[in-house]
Amino acid sequence: MKHLFKSNLFKIFFSILILLALVKLLWFVVEMVWLSPVGIGHDDEVGNKSLYYRVKLTPNEAPPPMKKQPIKIAGSIKDITLLGIYNSEDTTVITVEYKRKTKVLARGDEINGFLLEGAGSNFATFSKDSKTYRVVLLKSKKSTGSNSSIKSTSSTQSVPAKDSSKVKGEVTDAGDHKIIDKSLFDHYAKNMDDIYKNIGISEVKENGKIKGFRITFVRRGTPFAKLGIKRGDMIKSINGQEINSYNAAFEVYKNIQKVENLTMVIKRGKEEMELEYEVN
Amino acid sequence: MQMVKNIFIIFIVFWFALLLFMPKQELYFTLEKELLKQDIEINEQSIEEGIFSLNLIKPVIYVKGIKIATIEKINIFTLVFQTNINLKSLILDDSLKSFAPQKIDVANISYSLFSPFKVIIDGKGSFGVIDGHANLDERNLRLHFSETTKELDSIKSNLKKDEKGLYYETSF
Repeated sequence: MKHLFKSNLFKIFFSILILLALVKLLWFVVEMVWLSPVGIGHDDEVGNKSLYYRVKLTPNEAPPPMKKQPIKIAGSIKDITLLGIYNSEDTTVITVEYKRKTKVLARGDEINGFLLEGAGSNFATFSKDSKTYRVVLLKSKKSTGSNSSIKSTSSTQSVPAKDSSKVKGEVTDAGDHKIIDKSLFDHYAKNMDDIYKNIGISEVKENGKIKGFRITFVRRGTPFAKLGIKRGDMIKSINGQEINSYNAAFEVYKNIQKVENLTMVIKRGKEEMELEYEVN
Repeated sequence: MQMVKNIFIIFIVFWFALLLFMPKQELYFTLEKELLKQDIEINEQSIEEGIFSLNLIKPVIYVKGIKIATIEKINIFTLVFQTNINLKSLILDDSLKSFAPQKIDVANISYSLFSPFKVIIDGKGSFGVIDGHANLDERNLRLHFSETTKELDSIKSNLKKDEKGLYYETSF
């Protein structure tokens, strides 16, 4: 009797089929036991909106509603030469030369109609007629070769740095609030590494969800230390934006150069505090 | 001799069946799940499955919820012993331009079972050409930059220099 199929070929074909079926079965078991049947979709955070919006009812640039008769005072800021600065957390004392006389001024003192608002490491800030003036330390002036350096709030001119690797800009204490130099934001926006060198921040989780970011260290003498934040503080919100995710924190970082004032809610121990900053 | 031939055929058929029936999409979903544990998310517009490959169309990469990069297409090609990942048109988020080149036209990541601790990386963009490797045993990454253009200036502060030129090194 003649065979319809070559038994040897049929055997090979059948073996291959069994092998294929075995592999399919193997993958099926793997799929059922270990593999995930559905993918993970990214949920865009909807809670990233500000808790409140800052509304400027009387913006700084606008003229004040009640015009006061300006007090006419002779002289200008150029007559004041800054000789020395003593700056600590709660005290600011400067030595100035005015009309060939040396005077010592504390914060709030007035000279030539200019009110001492605060001081940085190499400059003092005065105010007059709702304008801010900056006088650079004499030593710095000599090194840059300029006679005097005056800066109003609307100006974008910054104090030339002695060392390019140093952070440009300062945080100045103006009594009830602090003034942050805008160039600081520009520096940190371009050099993220410098942030981590000066401040340590770690997430605080509660039931798997981020509740805020805790400050683990603040390097002394850095602009961060001058902001008034301390180790152990928990950052809850910035400018009304709840900081409850890395994305929220990064959004603040991305837009930091655009802000005109900064409000930070922190939790120190059991107490919640609001820190206000003006950005110039 | 017949025995060797049979074993070889069985091996080839088994290997082919392994690739053919591989639940590529499910394997990718599992990889997604593992990456999520490291706070890395890939959100693709669509997935196309081929015989030996898997294409991710317009994936967006998030790290800790932050959008890091948008890629035109990722092609994952595997022969089990050799796996290549090809990325086409990777655009980094604008805020990261001071850390890495903002646009990478093409990038290839290849891994072979014959050198299990080495992942070879190369790429090309308007900034120049990159090539290097990641050592999984020593947990470090070294990327060399060549044919560089002015676009690389913004990240030069993060790069080091050796006899071959500029390079980036980090550990993980």
